[in-house]
Formats: sequence, C-alpha cells, structure tokens
Amino acid sequence: MNAIRRYLRPEQIRELSLIVIIILAVLFFATQIENYLSARTFNRISTSIAIIAVVAVGQTLVVLTRNIDLSVGSIVGFAAYFSGQTLAANPDLAPVLAVCVAIGFGAFLGLINGVLVAVGRIPAIVVTLGTLAIYRGILVDWAQARTITTEMMPTWLIDLPRVNVLTMGEVEVRIMVALALVVVILFQLALNYLPLGRRLYAIGSNPDAARLMGLPIQRTILIAYVLCGALAGLAGFMFLARFGTITVTAGAGLELAAVAAVVVGGVNIFGGSGTMFGALLGAIVIGTLEQSLLRMPQVSEFVRDALLGLFILIAVASDAIIVKGLREAWARSGRLKSAKTTLAPATAKEVKRA
Amino acid sequence: MKKLFVGLLVLTLILAMGAASAQDVVVAEPGQEVNMILLPKFLGIAVFDEANQGAQEAHAELENPGTLEFLGPTAENSVAGQIEIVTTAASRDDIDAIMISNNAGDQLVPAVEAASEAGQAVVTWDSPIPSGAGEALFIAQVDFDETGRVMAEMARSILGEDGGSFAILSASPDAANQNAWIAALLEVLEEPEYENLVLLDTVYGNDQTEESYNQALALVDQYPEMELIMAPTSVGITAAAKAMQDEGLCDTVKVSGLGLPSEMIEFTLNGCAPEFALWSFVDLGYVTYYATYLLATGAMEAEEGVTFEAGRMGEYTIEADPTREEGLRIVMGPFSVYNIDNIEEAVGGAMEEMEATATPGS
Repeated sequence: MNAIRRYLRPEQIRELSLIVIIILAVLFFATQIENYLSARTFNRISTSIAIIAVVAVGQTLVVLTRNIDLSVGSIVGFAAYFSGQTLAANPDLAPVLAVCVAIGFGAFLGLINGVLVAVGRIPAIVVTLGTLAIYRGILVDWAQARTITTEMMPTWLIDLPRVNVLTMGEVEVRIMVALALVVVILFQLALNYLPLGRRLYAIGSNPDAARLMGLPIQRTILIAYVLCGALAGLAGFMFLARFGTITVTAGAGLELAAVAAVVVGGVNIFGGSGTMFGALLGAIVIGTLEQSLLRMPQVSEFVRDALLGLFILIAVASDAIIVKGLREAWARSGRLKSAKTTLAPATAKEVKRA
Repeated sequence: MKKLFVGLLVLTLILAMGAASAQDVVVAEPGQEVNMILLPKFLGIAVFDEANQGAQEAHAELENPGTLEFLGPTAENSVAGQIEIVTTAASRDDIDAIMISNNAGDQLVPAVEAASEAGQAVVTWDSPIPSGAGEALFIAQVDFDETGRVMAEMARSILGEDGGSFAILSASPDAANQNAWIAALLEVLEEPEYENLVLLDTVYGNDQTEESYNQALALVDQYPEMELIMAPTSVGITAAAKAMQDEGLCDTVKVSGLGLPSEMIEFTLNGCAPEFALWSFVDLGYVTYYATYLLATGAMEAEEGVTFEAGRMGEYTIEADPTREEGLRIVMGPFSVYNIDNIEEAVGGAMEEMEATATPGS
C-alpha cells in the first residue's frame, strides 16, 4: 500500500486527468465531426504536434528552473533556414550531420540566452523577449529574402515526413512522431534519474535552499537553456523536413504554442514541478482541440481562436479541479493510515509540533 | 463646299488634338532629387525583394541623387509596423514619397493622410488602401477582376470540362487584394460556362506555413469530393502542395493559385501543382517607382486620363479604380501562367535576370 501510495502521488498522476480530458474532448468531437474516430484523425493530430512537442520538452527544462524561453520560435525558424541553406550548399551531406547542424546551431543560440540569463543575471523574460526579436531580425538580414525551396533539398529530406516507423492497419506512426516520443521519453528519464534533472527541480522549487546546498545554480540554468536551444534546433530541422519551403517567417509564434503546451501540461510556471509527459499531454490537448476545430464546418475562421482559448481554459480549470480532488483524497488516505499506525499519540503530536 | 471646308477643318482639329494628346504623355526628367521609401507588407519574402530590385533599377535609371529606402516591418508585426513606419515617415522632412504595399487595411488611413498632408506623394502597389483615402494612386499588378478569371480558367483547365469542386486557401481575412480576387472569382463562377465549378469553402492560413499546411489537410478531411485547392498566396500554395505531397494525395487533389515559379518548380514538375499564375514583381516595383517619381517631382498630377511613360514598361493611363468605390489606379499586367511547359525556362530566366541586375551597367 505504501509503495502504491508513493507512486501515486497526485503530482505524478495528474497526467491521468489530462488523459481524461483528451478522451472527453475526442468523444465530444466525435459527435460533431463525421468520421472523426478514425485512423486518419490520429495521423493528422499526431503529425501536427510532433514539432511542438519537441519544443515543449526544451521549454519544460527551462520553466522547471523558474525561467522561460520566449525565443524558441525564432530559434526554430533560424535553425530551419540555416540547416536548409547548409543542405542546399552541400546536397550530399549525411542526414545525421544535417540534423547535427540544426541541433548545434540551436544550442549555440540557446547558449547566448543562457549566458545572458545565468551569468548576466538579467530576467529571463527580458532576455528571451529580446533575443526573440534579435534572432528573427538577424535571420531576415541573413536570408536576404531568399526562400529555401523544396527543389533545393535532397529527396530523402522531402520524403522524410512520409516515412512510417510503425503501421497498424491505417494507423501510422510517422518518423517525426516517433522522434518526438523518443525525445520525450529520454528527457523524462533524464529528469528522473540524472543529477542534472533533480537539480532542475531543486533550483525551481527553492533557489535559496539550492544555493545553501551548494548546487551549481548558474551552470544548471545555462545547461537548461543550451538544451532548450538544441531541442528547438532539432524542431527546426523537423520544420524544414515537413514544410520544405522556408522563409524568414518560419516558426513564428511557436514560442506561445510551446508555453501553452507546457502550462496546460501542468508544468508549474513558477518552477519546481512538472514532467515531460505532462508537457507532451499538454501539446496533445492543444493539438487535438486545434485540429478538431479546423474540421468543424460550423466553426468560422473568426470564432475558432476564441473557442480554442475557451477550450484551453476549460481544460486547465477542470485539470486543476481534478488534481485538487486527487490531492485531498490522497491526504485523507494518508490521515487514515497514520491513525492506524502504532505510534503513540504523544509521539504523533510531537512530530506535528516539529 | 463650305460644309466640306468646315468638315475638313473639324477633321484637322481632331487630328491635331489627337497629336497633341499623344504628346501629352508625361515623361520623367532624370536627375531630380526625390527621397523615397518603399514599404512592403513585411520583410524577408522573395516577392517584395523582387519589387525592391525593380524599384532600385528605376532609381538608377532615373539617376535620382536622392535615397530609396526599403523599409518594412517583420512578419509578425506587419500591421502595427506598417502604421509606425508611415507615421514616422510622415513626420520626416527629408522624405518626399512613400510607396506602400498595404497590409493594414483602412487602419493605415490616418498615417497615410498625415503623409499626404505633409506633401509627400503616397502611392500604393500590390495592395491598396481599401477606401482610397490618403492615397494618390494605386499601381495594380493586374486587373483584380482578371485575377478572378485567371483563377477560374486554371481551375477549369485542371478539373477538366466536366468541372468539379474546389476550395480556396487564402492569406488573412483582411488582406484587401486577396479578398478582391476571391470576390472577382465568385463573380466569374456565376457565368454559365463555369457553372460546373463548385466552390466548397474559403479558409485562411494567414500566410503562415504551418497554419496553411494544416488548413489544407483539414479541407481534404472535410470535403472528400474536393479535387483542387486554389491558393492565391505564395505561402499558401507551397504549403498546400507540400501537404498533398506528404499525404500522397497529389493524384486526387491538385493545387493551383498564385505562386513564385522558383518556389513552385518542384510541385509543378511532379504534378502536385500543375498550373499556377503570377505577374512580375520586379516590373511592379519598377512601374511604381516611375509613377511615384513623376508625382513627387510635380511632373504629373494623379488625375483620371493622365498618361505617363514608365521607362522600359511603356505607357500607362490613370483611371478610376473599378474595384473600389474611390481611388485611382493603373494596371500593370500581364499575368504569366506557369505549367510544366514553361516553368523551367521561367526559373532559369529569373536567375539570369537576377544576375544581370546584380551587375549594374551590364
């Protein structure tokens, strides 16, 4: 019982409530949209969230430390453009190297953010709001209004979005979706088991305590930004492969989508709590709502965004209520158990006083 | 006899007037100093850069000792940025003329009115001020009604004589030019010979690749009978074509609309977008520059019936804009329709042209 209790902490099963919300949303849309419960819907939603999920994982790393990275949209766009340009100039470049170019470039931009935030001690929202505009501005200048077109790209890249790693009937798991899942799982494991992961939580939940413990706060925050940039770079490569035609507007607005996914996914914006699976579920919630609303003929262009906002609010609010209920239930079961323990009443009181 | 004489006299007069009006073509006198701003919808997009190339070409040709600034907002800040740039320009004494591709609808009116009141020549190109207020002249790339007809014809040539159903993927719901083209297309569809073309829906991708891509797939899911997506925007058309290619739908759902040959060549060669159209943005920038130079130097008034010469592009006559309630325009034209037969040549030709303009004097 104790073991179950330890694993079923409300913070850890709050993802369950998001899954419930996703199921409710799918059931609702199934009554509204013809042929909704089909493999095609799964394929559409899964491919549409692959990029945002990768960006959201990076964002989560930063948000866990009580910071934020608003420049990820520009990093995605710049990395997409830069890796596209590199591939156009070197069409024979090995695919792995092309991915590394995008990741490395993103990590470099992330490093700049990290240095300014961790070493320069400038508030993250100011730094990354600035670099959001600066990176995009440099991209506009760098690109000289030249578009990266599908024609310049090697065939393997253009065909990449069509590659399936798993096909079950009509349900397809595309390579981009698989890649996003791998990223989520790897970083979730890193959060759970690597010292770095634990440090992110420690710094976010109590920076003063973390400092007293002698944790390398600056270095950890710096690493979080570099990783966030690297993941945005990877997302940039995925963006290039998916859309093929890259202009200077690529990835614009992704930062808000990523922050939304992270927040909906239950990652605390004030740091210290949240998981990668939560961020992924947040991305799935938003992706499901967005893609489904697009397919409702009675929803016009003009009300769609408002409805999307409303649904996100409902999702977050009901999530909060469900989690609160779970937490109370957990606390109640805890009290019951402590009443059953063999501790003498006096000792229990002393413990309480302490 | 007397009647014959009078008749001859009248005839002579008419001929003389005809000759006079032929001489009335306003021709630019090079070397005058005019400081100008060319304002695109936003920076970093190939078509606007091409317009700038054309304007720079005219700037060099007219030996204008003044400046030609290519100023624009970033894409995500287009509307507010345009208003800001025009407002700032209006208060600058050193600026004589502004050339605007309007992306802010009538929200730009107070700013352009301030600029006109400050004595600056305000000329719009590519996309006008919808109400015509504050603007001297609009340089239309093509006749907006013709855009509707060209789209209808491409739809028919792709769908065949039996017709079929299609949907429109546009840019933003408040882009004046796109809305005018769609309205013109709807009018053409009323004609009996186009009655077998059925328009299912109009959706907007806001000139964002990702949004346009998702919208295109949503159209496919919603309308199984759809055989064509018509996207009158260079961002939308490539996104839709890539979406159809990724989902292996190019055999059943074709893509057409307005696009850049250099961005579309792959999709035209592989059959996803067999036919699309566009005009030359280089020429549009060039003609816009000439008209603006003439207005700013006082050589020409923006009035109906005035004819002017725009260098290598020839003569244009100012007319009332039939697509708006108020406002004057000239129509540049023509449309180029691209398909598998001419696209490789067009892309090759554009490359040569770019190289030629890159080395001035050659």
